[in-house]
Amino acid sequence: MSLDDTITSPDLLVVKDFSLRFRGAPSDQINHVSFSVSAGKTLCIVGESGCGKSVTSLAMMGLLPAGAAEINSGLMVFEGKTLNLADPKAMRKIRGSRMTMIFQEPMSSLNPVFRIGDQIVEAIKAHSNATDGDAEDRAVAMLRRVGIPAPEKRMRDYPHQLSGGMRQRVMIAMALVNDPALLIADEPTTALDVTIQAQILELIRDLQAETNMGTIMITHDLGVVAEIADTVAVMYAGTIVETGPAERIFNDPQHPYTIGLMSSIPQLTGVRGRLSTVPGMVPTAQNMPTGCRFATRCPFAQPICATEPPLVEMAGGHQVACHFAPLEIKLKDSL
Amino acid sequence: MLSFILRRVVIAIPTIILISIFVFTLQKLLPGDPVLAMAGEERDPQVLEFLREKYRLNDPIPVQYLTWIGKALTGDLGISLRTNQPVLELIGQKLPVTIQLATMAMVFAMLIGIPAGIFSAVKKGTVIDYIANVVALSGLSIPNFWLGIMLILLVSVKWKLLPASGYVPLSEDPIRSITVMIMPAFVLGTALAATLMRHTRSAMLSVLSSDYVRTARAKGLVERQVILKHAFRNALTPIVTLTALLFGELIAGAVLTEQIFTIPGFGKLVVDAVFNRDYAVVQGIVLVTAVGFIFMNLLADVAYVLLNPRLRKQ
Repeated sequence: MSLDDTITSPDLLVVKDFSLRFRGAPSDQINHVSFSVSAGKTLCIVGESGCGKSVTSLAMMGLLPAGAAEINSGLMVFEGKTLNLADPKAMRKIRGSRMTMIFQEPMSSLNPVFRIGDQIVEAIKAHSNATDGDAEDRAVAMLRRVGIPAPEKRMRDYPHQLSGGMRQRVMIAMALVNDPALLIADEPTTALDVTIQAQILELIRDLQAETNMGTIMITHDLGVVAEIADTVAVMYAGTIVETGPAERIFNDPQHPYTIGLMSSIPQLTGVRGRLSTVPGMVPTAQNMPTGCRFATRCPFAQPICATEPPLVEMAGGHQVACHFAPLEIKLKDSL
Repeated sequence: MLSFILRRVVIAIPTIILISIFVFTLQKLLPGDPVLAMAGEERDPQVLEFLREKYRLNDPIPVQYLTWIGKALTGDLGISLRTNQPVLELIGQKLPVTIQLATMAMVFAMLIGIPAGIFSAVKKGTVIDYIANVVALSGLSIPNFWLGIMLILLVSVKWKLLPASGYVPLSEDPIRSITVMIMPAFVLGTALAATLMRHTRSAMLSVLSSDYVRTARAKGLVERQVILKHAFRNALTPIVTLTALLFGELIAGAVLTEQIFTIPGFGKLVVDAVFNRDYAVVQGIVLVTAVGFIFMNLLADVAYVLLNPRLRKQ
């Protein structure tokens, strides 16, 4: 597939061979990353802290601080048009209207000194010429859709008067009020109680079914992935090591890192033992290994892993960046 | 809100009492005899005794304090030992002059310091930020009196643009009054502008990296709105507090500035009163200043609550 093919792709968002380096860093923070999302579908980007999943999404939104990072390769095509990440004006128009984002910390993501109604109205008016009255009506309706009781009253509340779950609902309302084609959710449930987590995930899924928007869910929580993902991209140290339909990633993981992640999920059934972990830490930009970036922590690493691994295509859009893929045995059963 | 203000006022009362006792006692510990200062060449013990009796200086100190504070509560701050004018009247004459000077200095400091701080925070690490910081540091390091004298030499003596000294009441000729005050206000405001700039910069820097500023950007707001509305509104809280605290510095600075530009203000009144052992005036001035300072902080507290909805409903 050449780069031009993506322009005609039916997908809502196509990220192709995207590389990004922070100014002054010795290696790329995001290394030749490719993935795509279709309308109405959910892509989960999974990985440890610092693997580059948030940076990728912030780059997509044009939210990285100006001049902080350099894009070395690749392109992003959104709704059939190449995103011009270097044009802040164009990005601003897309941001918050066609492509929106919610964040990990609902407690601090809303401005503490403004009423939540005003903050939602502001999001509407940033992208349309709606009158105050219209914008307010739309905001109230949106709050109702995200399940906030007595929305007319809540409009006048300040963020500190709401619970964490309610605040995340407000964030979702703010993100969806302009009817976006793509929602990027950066660990939206991490800071919430487990019961609230489930509610928020369900809310996102319901709203997605209503609006047919595409969703990118960034998470390190495989429970969330299992709950919500259509496709999964497993990210490690700035590279996507494995991507494919969710059930294939869960049932037939091929990359040693994915296998490590899967086996670190505690099981309720079966033999009880020490919880499996992936030993070591994500390498920093200063000591990024050449070739396969996971080699330093990989139990199966061989000398060949010092060279760039090929992207192995498997059945059903399943891709693995590993010298040893596909695996000869189905590992899932032996875990 | 009203109960909040009332509570603050009640808390302020012991502070004022303490300050008044402190000032009163300190006065008594100062070397020098006010009666001697008053009598001048006169050394007749009878005259001195008469004066002591007249001003009740023979009473025990606690009694003197109570007499003074009792009268002060009714608005009588006593009579200047030197000019025989009521202290309140003296203060009433001089205070507006200093208030004008302080206000102009503060306005100048805010007009320069706050935008410069915002700008340098937004442009952090650039040449603009660097220049702003160097200028601010110079503003802090250059002594008032030197800057004042240099300005008089340049602007007044050499270029003859602004008058070197004097004062015109605002009510008499507003334009001229402000023109005369420009240079002193500039001198007095320079250090404040630098302080404000530094604090605005750091407040803005911490706010600019906050999650809600990222949310504001994620909404697609234009950068001006992100910075001036979402970020600055939050950075304002520490700035307001600082401004109230700077009021003390302002009064202290005014003393010096008024000397340089021979402005007949509060500062000059203080200096003259101290040198002349004019107890009643010094006490009155310190009391008024303390009350003013407490009032400014009360205003800051109120502003703090108005700015911060989290504090409002408690």
